[in-house]
Amino acid sequence: MQTPIPEPAQTRQHSALEDAQGLAFGGTMAALAIVMLTHMGFITGQMAGLAVLVSYVSGWQFGPVFFVLNLPFYWFGYKRMGAAFVLKTFVAVALLSGLSMVLPQYLQFDRINPFVGAVLYGFISGSALLALFRHGASLGGVGIMALYLQDKTGFKAGWTQMAFDACVFGLAFALLPWQPVAWSALGALVLNAVIAVNHRRDRYVA
Amino acid sequence: MHTDLPPVKHYTRFEDAQGLLIASVQSALGLHLLRAAGLITGGTAGMSLIISYVTGWSFGLVFFLINIPFYGFAYYARGAVFCIKSLISVTLVSILAEVLKPLLHVDHIHPAAAAVLFGISTGVGLLGLFRHSGSLGGVSIIALILQDKFGFKAGWTQTIHDLILFGIALWLMPVDKVIWSLLGAVILNLVIAFNHRRDWYIVT
Repeated sequence: MQTPIPEPAQTRQHSALEDAQGLAFGGTMAALAIVMLTHMGFITGQMAGLAVLVSYVSGWQFGPVFFVLNLPFYWFGYKRMGAAFVLKTFVAVALLSGLSMVLPQYLQFDRINPFVGAVLYGFISGSALLALFRHGASLGGVGIMALYLQDKTGFKAGWTQMAFDACVFGLAFALLPWQPVAWSALGALVLNAVIAVNHRRDRYVA
Repeated sequence: MHTDLPPVKHYTRFEDAQGLLIASVQSALGLHLLRAAGLITGGTAGMSLIISYVTGWSFGLVFFLINIPFYGFAYYARGAVFCIKSLISVTLVSILAEVLKPLLHVDHIHPAAAAVLFGISTGVGLLGLFRHSGSLGGVSIIALILQDKFGFKAGWTQTIHDLILFGIALWLMPVDKVIWSLLGAVILNLVIAFNHRRDWYIVT
């Protein structure tokens, strides 16, 4: 299915302030999602998932790991999507990294029902990513690399991302008890469903 | 003032259903965190929180009951679909707010975190409800009607109402809690004022 999505003429641009509040929203909501996720000991897909896994295994905090893991990919992002995209993505990644370290001082969860936690994670990180996409940003590495590979080799971006997630979840099954990994799969499924249904570039004019 | 684009497509029933569900969950999550810090907000939700703090009744029940009179107005002004979607959203939020209490235990929350997270979570929840032609009842119905009929931004109507409600809260609650609550309400209204743009979407 390579049908290009019809894009309406770009009649308006978001102003810098509008983009800023969009990134602030996306970064903060993503941080809340990650704080819940790591409190439950769950993982997720993409670069955030790898960072969570690394932080569980090493004992390092998620924030710095996620920030560092994303660093190599900004160059590819610049080549593929341009300076504005890279700058916004850098800001979003930095916000998520920073807030994920600060937020636990202000908000501590006690017991979270795993089903409720997984679904809530999917909803709030899904809408955080939607907002970031809407304002021309992303949360880093894997998606950028996937698009870059698609341009260079024709290997579909979706497959790269799926292969990456399969590796992260495979590693998680090897390293963690199976129950939290199974709940994590539900969270990742909800997250992807939220984006699949609601990320519709053909429906916006700004 | 921006004029609405002619609607060329409509959401499918499934898209509306998932929109109302996700938006209601996000609204309820925000209110859950707000309540965990003992803060209030504007709108009928704020009224319900104040009443539930003062009387000890559950927020969900009070919120559900307070909204009942507004459905008639919703039906009269914007038709059956809007009325039913609002009823569904308010009912969902009422139930979810009580369901989250035992299933998502908040150990400790700083009022600053509660205010910010409430503002953005419930703010985006309301945006989702508005996008799918729903609402959280009461004041937001009136705010939406004013926006549609006169172009007066929904965020401003709610801000004016909130100021009155906060005046009352100052009598009943500690000042610091009211001030933190004010921050949350401001963030929520900013989220809506910035992002509720009917002229930017081509689907209704």
